[in-house]
Amino acid sequence: MQNSFISKIKQKFISNPDLTFAFFLAITVYSYFGFSVEVFASHNLTFAILERFAVLGLIGLALTICIIAGEIDLSIGSNAALCAVIVVKLTDPIGAPLAIVIGLFISTGIGFIQGFFIAYLRVRAIVLTVGTLMLLRGISLVVAEEKTVMLTDFRVPDFITTKFFMYFSPASIMVIFVFILVGIFMRFTKYGREIYAIGGARKESLAAGVPIKRPMIIAFALSGFCAGFAGTVIGLKSGTAQGLGLQYLLLAGTVAAFVGGVSILGGKGGIIGAAVGALTVNFLNTGLLFYALQVHFVQLFTSVLLVVVIVFQTMSRIFDQYQSRKAFLESVDHRRENLLAKRDKFNLTNK
Amino acid sequence: MQDLISSYKKNLLLSILLTFFVLLFLYGIFATNNYFTWFNFKTIIRDAALYGIMAIGLTFVTLSGNFFLLSIKETAAICCVSFAMGMSTGYGVESWVGNFPISLLVTLLIGCLAGAAQGLFIGLGGNPIVVTLGGAGILYGIATWWTDNLVISFRRPNDAEWLGTGSFLGLPTITWSFILIAILAEFVLRYTNFGRKVYLVGSNRAAGKATGHENLSMAIIVCTICSALCAFVAVAFAAQMSSAQANYFSAEFGSSGDMTILVIATVMVGGNSIMGGYGNTIRTSIGAIFIAMIDNMMVLNGLNSGPRIVGVGLMIVFSILVFALYAKGSRAQE
Repeated sequence: MQNSFISKIKQKFISNPDLTFAFFLAITVYSYFGFSVEVFASHNLTFAILERFAVLGLIGLALTICIIAGEIDLSIGSNAALCAVIVVKLTDPIGAPLAIVIGLFISTGIGFIQGFFIAYLRVRAIVLTVGTLMLLRGISLVVAEEKTVMLTDFRVPDFITTKFFMYFSPASIMVIFVFILVGIFMRFTKYGREIYAIGGARKESLAAGVPIKRPMIIAFALSGFCAGFAGTVIGLKSGTAQGLGLQYLLLAGTVAAFVGGVSILGGKGGIIGAAVGALTVNFLNTGLLFYALQVHFVQLFTSVLLVVVIVFQTMSRIFDQYQSRKAFLESVDHRRENLLAKRDKFNLTNK
Repeated sequence: MQDLISSYKKNLLLSILLTFFVLLFLYGIFATNNYFTWFNFKTIIRDAALYGIMAIGLTFVTLSGNFFLLSIKETAAICCVSFAMGMSTGYGVESWVGNFPISLLVTLLIGCLAGAAQGLFIGLGGNPIVVTLGGAGILYGIATWWTDNLVISFRRPNDAEWLGTGSFLGLPTITWSFILIAILAEFVLRYTNFGRKVYLVGSNRAAGKATGHENLSMAIIVCTICSALCAFVAVAFAAQMSSAQANYFSAEFGSSGDMTILVIATVMVGGNSIMGGYGNTIRTSIGAIFIAMIDNMMVLNGLNSGPRIVGVGLMIVFSILVFALYAKGSRAQE
């Protein structure tokens, strides 16, 4: 029983090298900082990492869903910023719950509209989302009246950063809950499988009768929802929001998604990968804090991590191609030898 | 043009969008005071020149089917910093201080290296967006690390002034270089062997591969061209300001708040196909001038940066929708 369980896990890791690499990276980064920084593997720091995971995990999740559908959403930072501005601005007059509902509704709606245009006009998502990146940034500047929006009542930030069960806060529990829900949705429902289908093999799935509009709209609405949720968490946690803020989320989220093993060609990757990727980036960011580096060094190291992952993915693809080509050539050689042997035999018998 | 008119008649949504846009533009121009003056015209062309030159470089990348580079402003940042370092400290060599040719050469070299490295990864099969997103972080990190995030300034009477603030026949030098680079790039794309290859690789990668034109060398060359032009703009900008800092191109540049997106917008508003193989640098130049005109109009009307960013963003989304509607049902879709 024990043995078969281990072999099952082993099989899973062998069949999915990208996820294995993600776990490997996460463990490497964690153990490096765990050994070199004294307080890294403590309860308080784990709480801090989970707090950061609440934001970055959501952005990583949003990008993962888009990339699984074979597209990439560049407007994610602007969407989060817009939602943060709206929620922070509305929390004082109408209360936090209603403000969150309105903010999430708007970001989900933006994702929905983007997905609709991408599916209906058949433009590539990068083309449209570069435009909406700028448009949404402008809109959030207008909504914030080009100032930093601030809360006056700090009960809400206090509530969502309360610590309980040692490691968790309401924000991180909500995020973990979203992760589980989205994971079940992507893995076990028809709609989730359609997103995988149009990402992995668009023409084939079109030919097989999968509609392209529905999964595309669902994917972008989901990613808009996640981005808006991340913006809400950031805005309410700090109590402030800026129209031009949160642009760094695109890089961090992309790194998280790619560390988690999505392929830019689409149709690959999953929610577990997204979580592991976001945790890896968080380990890196949090660990670098202890070296008291300037803020741009974090960006530099995050980019280096991204390049490492890209190099690994590209190399493994090239290696796969090389392997299959080699196998093909070998089979050709083998067949030719067989034929030659047959001919010799034939000649011998005829002589 | 004939195609445009016929599809204008056929497609209701397209015609409504286009008419609305043209009317808004005309209203804006005629309602603005001091718009039609020679001085304002020079300002517009000068603004357009800065991102127009970068956009011409990016047009090569887009035409060859490699989408776009997200590392434009970071390449410009590291180049502008490197130029200022050369002018103020001479890279540590005493006799090189304030030497314009050496600073220019080193800066161009750095730009070309940055472009070639990214092109290599793109050509090997990496996605251009992701590769340049990573490249952007690395370049910006190196630029800030090199200067400790300080403003590097150099003495005012220097050899670089003719490029930054000088003018020739009443037009600034940077405007002349914009015109020259646009003509040269169009000539290269239209009449040379290399230019035709760019179109071939962009429009049909499989055919390019079958005839021996791999994307690997093409990606390296086009990224190098784009980064070299970014380096040139960075040098001109640093020469104009007599100083440089790593975030000169990131925060609040022009009306956009982001140089990279503005350059990509220029390529798209001109109507080049992002999927590659269709477009030219004349379209890009017109896009640059158009964006500069609208931006200038909004500035003259006293709008804040928020509405201006909304304006430019709406323009991008509009142009994407218009060109997508125009191309609907024809080629260049998938």
